[in-house]
Amino acid sequence: MSRQSFLGATARERAAGLTDAGTFQELAGPRDRLTSPHLPVLGEAVSFDDGIVTGVGMVRQHPVFVISQEGRFIGGAVGEVGGAKMVGIFQLALAEYEEWKSHGAQEDCRPAVIISFETGGVRLHEANAGLLAHAEVMDQIQCCRGKVPVLGLIGSKVGCFGGMGFVAAAVDVIVMSPEGRLGLTGPEVIEQEIGKEEFDSADKSLISRTTGGKHKYLMRDCNVLVPDSIEAFRQAIGDILEKPYEEMEKCRRIGSPALVKEQLDVAEWLADLAPSDARDVWKAMGNPMAEEYPDMDVEEFLTHAVRRRRGEQ
Amino acid sequence: MDWCRLKEDRESRLKQGDAYRIEKKLVAAKDTGRLLEAVIRPGDRVCLEGNNQKQADFLAEKLCRVNQEKVRDLHLVQSAVAMDSHIKLLEKGIAKKIDFSYSGPQAAKLAELVQKGKMELGSIHTYLELFGRYFMDLIPRVALVAAVEADREGNLYTGFNTEDTPVVVEATHFKQGIVIAQVNRVVDRLPRVDIPGDWIDYVVEAPRPFYVEPLFTRDPALITEAQILRAMMAIKGIYAEYGVQRLNHGIGFDTAAIELLLPTYGEQLGLKGKICSYFALNPHPTLIPAIESGWVTGIHCFGGELGMEEYIRNRPDIFFVGPDGTLRSNRAMSQTAGHYACDMFIGSTLQIDEEGNSSTATASRIAGFGGAPNMGCDARGRRHASEAWLKCGEEDGMRRETLGHMPRGRRLVVQMQDTFREKMVPGFVEELDAWNLQKTAHLPIPPVMIYGDDLTHIVTETGIAYLHKCTSLEERTAAIRAVAGYTPVGRKAEREKTKELRRRGIVKTPEDLGIDVSDANRSLLAAKSIRELVEWSKGLYHPPVRFKTW
Repeated sequence: MSRQSFLGATARERAAGLTDAGTFQELAGPRDRLTSPHLPVLGEAVSFDDGIVTGVGMVRQHPVFVISQEGRFIGGAVGEVGGAKMVGIFQLALAEYEEWKSHGAQEDCRPAVIISFETGGVRLHEANAGLLAHAEVMDQIQCCRGKVPVLGLIGSKVGCFGGMGFVAAAVDVIVMSPEGRLGLTGPEVIEQEIGKEEFDSADKSLISRTTGGKHKYLMRDCNVLVPDSIEAFRQAIGDILEKPYEEMEKCRRIGSPALVKEQLDVAEWLADLAPSDARDVWKAMGNPMAEEYPDMDVEEFLTHAVRRRRGEQ
Repeated sequence: MDWCRLKEDRESRLKQGDAYRIEKKLVAAKDTGRLLEAVIRPGDRVCLEGNNQKQADFLAEKLCRVNQEKVRDLHLVQSAVAMDSHIKLLEKGIAKKIDFSYSGPQAAKLAELVQKGKMELGSIHTYLELFGRYFMDLIPRVALVAAVEADREGNLYTGFNTEDTPVVVEATHFKQGIVIAQVNRVVDRLPRVDIPGDWIDYVVEAPRPFYVEPLFTRDPALITEAQILRAMMAIKGIYAEYGVQRLNHGIGFDTAAIELLLPTYGEQLGLKGKICSYFALNPHPTLIPAIESGWVTGIHCFGGELGMEEYIRNRPDIFFVGPDGTLRSNRAMSQTAGHYACDMFIGSTLQIDEEGNSSTATASRIAGFGGAPNMGCDARGRRHASEAWLKCGEEDGMRRETLGHMPRGRRLVVQMQDTFREKMVPGFVEELDAWNLQKTAHLPIPPVMIYGDDLTHIVTETGIAYLHKCTSLEERTAAIRAVAGYTPVGRKAEREKTKELRRRGIVKTPEDLGIDVSDANRSLLAAKSIRELVEWSKGLYHPPVRFKTW
């Protein structure tokens, strides 16, 4: 197997594979046994990494601080310890930034943070502690602005939903594979709350069209679309970090009054369009081959894809 | 003496039913309820066609809404209790008794009805047993069946899902019963005739196609490394060891893993052509890579599987197809093949006890048996020999005491089992929940899927137990404990005894089999996702949307 699937990999395999070979050093790993204090109280099993792999490695010249969520442990839900590990990585990255600045601030060595999302959001067992973790991570992302680029990577089985969907929206650049899923309220919850007529969560094809990488790329919620391989994600990270920092800033979806207005305009445009399926939206944006998009591989899709225009529709 | 009462009764019913004919055998969908009231009498034995796949759902729903002055106290005899409407019939008292085979999704509700005394439970059967009784003491007076198309003469095209229809119609029609078919479409000319028109009395064009469940599709993306390890152990320690050529696979992920390892791990071991040439099996999508790599000579199917239509049409050398190109499935025939023509059954279960009995029953669910027990047993009536059958018989450790010197073969009956399932529920128990269910549901015996004396092998991640080699019941218990991991059963294993069993080849660990546990990873799967199955099929497999992740 020459190209390892991102989708099928574990969080630890992703963390190691997203950085250059042999450079990844796990920090606060399983040997440190940082486990949730809340789960044993409820009689639930703990994981020695609390479902999040954290560490640092290199991508080309850049020190890259890595957060990789593991969906196999409680669906990647974020609790107190996992959240603290995430925050710790941001703090290390910001400390490294100060070092970098005081040593000449060479652009090709600027530190970065990458988050591989695989989560449904807050770990309900930990309620407020989990929510607080989300808020702290958001806060750290804000602290990084103008200093350390934050990249979100989504191509895992669980995808990125719930509170972590908000966190993903706040990063600078989002890289997805078509297999990645991004949203706020997950498909099952939509069906449960509003009904099967609104959203049939058993229809995997519908979920893909509505939350998958191709749709998010067309809608500009995702900046870069890559095939499902760890290597392709690593390549994309390297290519993004080659760009001037200002270019990465421009990838943001939120973070300025102009961007907020743009998002509100999109919402209004969609409400007027009243689509019955994501394909209706793609067609309205100028994609006559929309029906064939789901079956296309990434390369072919990208040659046809017409994305949402920036500013007004 | 009147020797023709059944015929006279049939004629009097038809006379009333014929009032609703609009053309030849056709009855309008809106008159379905009145037709049922006209031809069904209180206390009738009625067969509602349905199994774990297709369902005569429209007729079942109409039967729920009949006037209970006219239709009540029915005795249902049917393969499956699968639909909400089946339960409603019992709740409302339209039916008061049921004899069946499989209940799957309605297992909990059925148990509740029995406990409340709302219905009378006849017997729980295997498919073949029930089919047998359709011709003895459970002959349906009226059968309600489902087909894809009909013509005006009542000829039926059952298409991909022929399944139980021939056996139900034959038993009913030739004992002067009445057969009503719901069809998706009435057409002028059928692609082929699966059931002759003079066996059918009425045809109703249902407003929507009958329901079919894609029960046999397993997404390779969900196969775990533990399943891959067990699959490697089974291939090397059982398939290769016995040269198993004719077999049935159960429904679970363990056997899906085996199917996906044939073109990779099986190929590495040089087993192509030596194992797995013939299957009695639903058309599992996970078998596509093995078929495409030339492993499989033939497959006969119990039923169809959604999405596999075009693939099968293009592989007529492998499957049974009609002149129109579509699959001809037949549950009764495939069960017969599974019972008499297969050298091995391999599946998985919920619980295995210390004597090797296994069951999928829990105290609050009456799930039934389906077809597995007729394959998961030694076919005592079998007389033809094969390599695998003979070898397994020769190894039988208790043969001398029971049979003496006469050579006799034995079917391999294999259970692949997690020592712990999800949420740390043990797969090995000291007492089956089936005992509890026997009490709560007032059953004459605990419902056992596969009996310990039929079981020849258990495969867990700890090892394979070759149970048939044991020379006593006590030794069999020791062999089961040896592979039961850290479950309460496994913790009773004695180190020295296990060592001895390993020395005698009754227990083999992955190490004994020459398997490196770290080799068991997903990269061994010939297809790792539904999408890769589509690629293997060259675009001929069309997965249902619930499995299509793109």
